[in-house]
Amino acid sequence: MKYGAIAILPLAFGAAIYGFAFGLLAAQVGFPWWGVGLMSATVHAGSSQIVAVEQFASTQTVVGAALAGAALNLRYIGIVASLSDVLAGLSLKTKLLAIHITGDENWALTMAERAKSRDIGAAFLIGSGLVMITVWTTSTTAGAIIGTALPDLERFGLGFAFTAAFIAMARGLWRGRPQIVPWLVAAVVTMIFMSFGTPRAYAIVAGTLCGLGVSSIQRRISGETS
Amino acid sequence: MTGDHWAVIAILAVAAFSIRVLGLVAGGRISASRYAWVLDQLPGLIVVSLVASSLVGEPTQTWVAAVAALCAAILTNHVVATMIVGVTAFAGLTYLAL
Repeated sequence: MKYGAIAILPLAFGAAIYGFAFGLLAAQVGFPWWGVGLMSATVHAGSSQIVAVEQFASTQTVVGAALAGAALNLRYIGIVASLSDVLAGLSLKTKLLAIHITGDENWALTMAERAKSRDIGAAFLIGSGLVMITVWTTSTTAGAIIGTALPDLERFGLGFAFTAAFIAMARGLWRGRPQIVPWLVAAVVTMIFMSFGTPRAYAIVAGTLCGLGVSSIQRRISGETS
Repeated sequence: MTGDHWAVIAILAVAAFSIRVLGLVAGGRISASRYAWVLDQLPGLIVVSLVASSLVGEPTQTWVAAVAALCAAILTNHVVATMIVGVTAFAGLTYLAL
């Protein structure tokens, strides 16, 4: 466990900077610092939190904002599934703790280290996960405390920081050329719906669904030709 | 913090944890199903739609700052670096426009 906790430190440092920036933004759109800390400890998913906070601030829709954020975390179905060997033999309580504290960074490090040595397992995952959730909760809370104390930064373009964060997330989710058409369709449909006065939350759902539809058609065509 | 703030945190926490539990109990089956591609595609499509919705009706400097952020994202693939470049470009362009 100690080895995992030490090995994750360089990655935890990167997460701390991101966490601080997120906390700052969340405080600026009205979340109290302890609410940010509570969210980080109970949700423990960076991209989900930033999407939910931004959506709530801009659309004021509670369920829509939370579900949009949660959808960003769907990849965890695959991530947690890939841990079945690592978690085998643990009690249910320990398994539930382990999957909650698993994030992208400590999951990737555990899998990479396990590929080198089969001695790396649940203890490494849990040790590194405990460091990650502690660093994430602390850094987001610290960012929110500073963000609460600062004046309204919107006029300096802080609101655009959300857009920039989404652009960076899209870059991280880019998997190659087959995504071009579905992504373009999603963007254009969202813009069309918003131009006709559709509320933002619904326009995003419409864009996403049209993108999924195009992706499905693409898959069918490539399946027929291959 | 209003009741709505609490509700966002509570729903998101329950949903995020449910997704993890779903991975624990049925992740293998879901990943092998014919609908696994939906889980792969959904996050990217949501994020792209979010970006598009943030840019509708915005002035030119917002679009230029978005292009700057996109260049930073492509080059660095780093969230914080992209945010710094994007916000700096946005603030610089807004200052110049005033």
